[in-house]
Amino acid sequence: MITLLLAATLCMVEPEDTTVTLDAVTVTGQQRRDYQMRTSQTTVQVSSEFLNRNFAGSLMQTLEGIPGVKAMAIGSGQSKPVIRGLGFNRLAVTEDGIKHEGQQWGDDHGLEIDQFAIDRAEVIKGPAALLYGSDAIGGVLSLYTNHVPTEPLSGSVQIFGRTNNEQLGLSAKIGGRKGKFFFRANMTLIDYADFRVPTDSIQYYSYWIRLKDQRLRNTAGCERDGSVMVGWQGYNFHTDVRVSDSYSKSGFFANAHGLEVRLSDIDYDSSRRDIDLPYQWVNHLKVLSHTTWRNDALSAELNLAYQNNLREELSEPVSHGYMPKPDNSLERRFNKSTYTAVGSLRYEHGRHTLQGGVSGEYQHNRRDGWGFIIPDFETGSVGGFVMERCALRDNLILNAGLRLDYARTHIHSYLDWYATPVGSAKVYQQRSADQRRHFTSLTWSAGVNYSVGQWVMKANVGKSFRVPIPKELGADGINYHIFRYERGNAQLDPEESYQLDASVSWADDTWEIEVEPYLNYFPNYIYLSPTAQYVEGLQLYHYTQARVLRYGLEAQATCRLTAHWQLHAQGEYLYARQKSGEKKGYTLPFSTPWSADAGVKYFFDKRGDGFVGLNAHIVGRQDEIVPPEKPTDGYWTLNLSAGKSFRLKGSTALSVAMHADNLLNRRYYDHTSYYRLIDVPEPGRNVALKVGVEF
Amino acid sequence: MKNLKYMGLLMALVCIVTMGFTACDSDDDDKDMTPPDISSEGLTANPINCQEYQRGDVIPFLYLFTDNQELGNFNIEIHNNADHHSHSTEADDDDHGGSECEDDHDHDHDAEDSDAPYWIYNESFEIPSGQRSHTARLDIPVPTDIKPGDYHFMIRLTDRAGWQQLKAIAIKIE
Repeated sequence: MITLLLAATLCMVEPEDTTVTLDAVTVTGQQRRDYQMRTSQTTVQVSSEFLNRNFAGSLMQTLEGIPGVKAMAIGSGQSKPVIRGLGFNRLAVTEDGIKHEGQQWGDDHGLEIDQFAIDRAEVIKGPAALLYGSDAIGGVLSLYTNHVPTEPLSGSVQIFGRTNNEQLGLSAKIGGRKGKFFFRANMTLIDYADFRVPTDSIQYYSYWIRLKDQRLRNTAGCERDGSVMVGWQGYNFHTDVRVSDSYSKSGFFANAHGLEVRLSDIDYDSSRRDIDLPYQWVNHLKVLSHTTWRNDALSAELNLAYQNNLREELSEPVSHGYMPKPDNSLERRFNKSTYTAVGSLRYEHGRHTLQGGVSGEYQHNRRDGWGFIIPDFETGSVGGFVMERCALRDNLILNAGLRLDYARTHIHSYLDWYATPVGSAKVYQQRSADQRRHFTSLTWSAGVNYSVGQWVMKANVGKSFRVPIPKELGADGINYHIFRYERGNAQLDPEESYQLDASVSWADDTWEIEVEPYLNYFPNYIYLSPTAQYVEGLQLYHYTQARVLRYGLEAQATCRLTAHWQLHAQGEYLYARQKSGEKKGYTLPFSTPWSADAGVKYFFDKRGDGFVGLNAHIVGRQDEIVPPEKPTDGYWTLNLSAGKSFRLKGSTALSVAMHADNLLNRRYYDHTSYYRLIDVPEPGRNVALKVGVEF
Repeated sequence: MKNLKYMGLLMALVCIVTMGFTACDSDDDDKDMTPPDISSEGLTANPINCQEYQRGDVIPFLYLFTDNQELGNFNIEIHNNADHHSHSTEADDDDHGGSECEDDHDHDHDAEDSDAPYWIYNESFEIPSGQRSHTARLDIPVPTDIKPGDYHFMIRLTDRAGWQQLKAIAIKIE
């Protein structure tokens, strides 16, 4: 926006062939301060440079260096995002402003987005319901893939790999511009073998399993992604359409999946790269249309999207209880289509910016397979918000906003495909009743940004909400992936969250210090609570609501000792308590233990094109547990990262990035990993390498 | 200059005070953090590893359940172990064999009864509330029309807080 205005001004004062001598010009960089003053929420900007430099195998692992952000490992080298301890359906992942809708509730469902198509990202560490509606209760991971090319033709090719699971990948991007038209296309191919862990055996649900060559059998997989975008970029008007498809197939760890752990006839150990039963595959298709129109004071934006998430989970059929052995291996299948429309208007007048928007989403989900976990459902929601930002002075900005959402869910009834003897009759049990629920939520947020001298301070207070998902309302069946019976609760109210967070930062030429505390209260947190009951031979977990209090903080400090040397330290702490209900006094599942990082970086030259960094990551012991967790010992690891880019002929550049984790090959457990529950340690020494050519 | 120093200090103070208040509650002293226990202490437990039964027999199940606060319920499951998978919860299971009992028959004689299905037993039982210790006594009749062979006898026990304990025993049905 500013660049356009600047360009326009320069054009108007172009002199006619005269020589003008300019005095030395001092340019003061205010980029960091300006970014922080843009919003009163705690946000972190992730540039493409950061993504390139910190490449660590998968998007979430690359982002893990940001304080407050975690990658929850789910097996097969994939991870789910977690911000300040909240993830699953309490975190919204958006791609170009549209919420990504898959089956986020699943413990072993990864993020179906091609990480190499991402230009930049933004992490909002706190509730952002005002702009994104439901599900943004813990935070938002905003991914952007819509950088507009400026060159007639440009692109990049990257080859990458990782030693821990012998991952090999290729990603190619191309883009071009002709006049006002532009296009972009990209493709990514990844293959990986069974995941390696520094142990010879693991213990799962009282079964003792010996591993061959320290590998988790059947955790190999592959990923195929592609996208095409075409658009028109005018002075005031811009529109583009992007079609993307992401396909991935990965095996489930063979010995820890299924009704009964059995050593099957399948020879899992014959190959490291083959994918046998049980496995999952998922295909996510997205069609996204993005249109903006702007003039001096007014700007309008309209985003429309269609998404289809098709997921199948296959495993060897076995009988269980009264269910006879099925005649196929389709355990679960979900076909979910989501239609989204988001429109917003922004009006700038003097010191005021008024923003308003309307969004609507419709989800249609159909299930199949012999295993029941969630019913068929449709959900429709609409929401409208209005937000006002007022710059009282250049360094003091206030903002406040209000949003109203209305959602309707229709859950279909489901009857077992097999009969259960009840008394003398045989009955097809009903697992989920037909029910319709509607939810209305009013949310708000207010904040302040204040900067003076070298300080930038901001504080934000707000209320967010989350509509209970069909799994929480209508589940009634065995979750084979984790050996327990899960039952929903049709009476659940939408979750509400009140959060107060602040950020205080101070910077000069040498130092940059940031402290970000937060306080969060849920009057009705939806929690899957373990009970003392048995249903169909497995322990019953059911959904209840409780009051939950959480607070914590992140802090980081960077010191530029010299032009070449840089020191960095960061830490984070999180506390959570259930204040009522069945598990009063307990914490929440997968509570993040405190952690601290200390590192040193050496830059080869001023431009920062080449660097080497060594970092120590220390994690405290976690005794804050809920059933069925176990306490986890603290640990520390040493990690190395390095990168360099070389200028080649013309505008071509070659870049190399390397990331070596756990240099000392220490054996440790991560409390927030899904695999912790089956005593699987984290990977040992693991090196990720990426070589790319940009032209 | 003074103003901003005070501003910064004030913000820090507000944060610390808020956290101080919220950390002041101490209602988590009575949390149950221990799973319940399945033991054979003080009684002759049945079944034990590698115990043999005949079809038509009665398994006189006997074990002691204990918990530090309050017991929940328990479940017994018996399933076949023809594929020799193993459980690790037996104390005398030095190399985690679980399924390797001394006089392991070869399974040729199973061919005679190949029509008979494997025995599948899965029953849950309640424990009276408020108990910290419970001697579980149960007579489980072994059906006659099942396939003999190696079986696993699994005990699952919960406590009131939702912790679960497991025990797996290898048995033989003749």
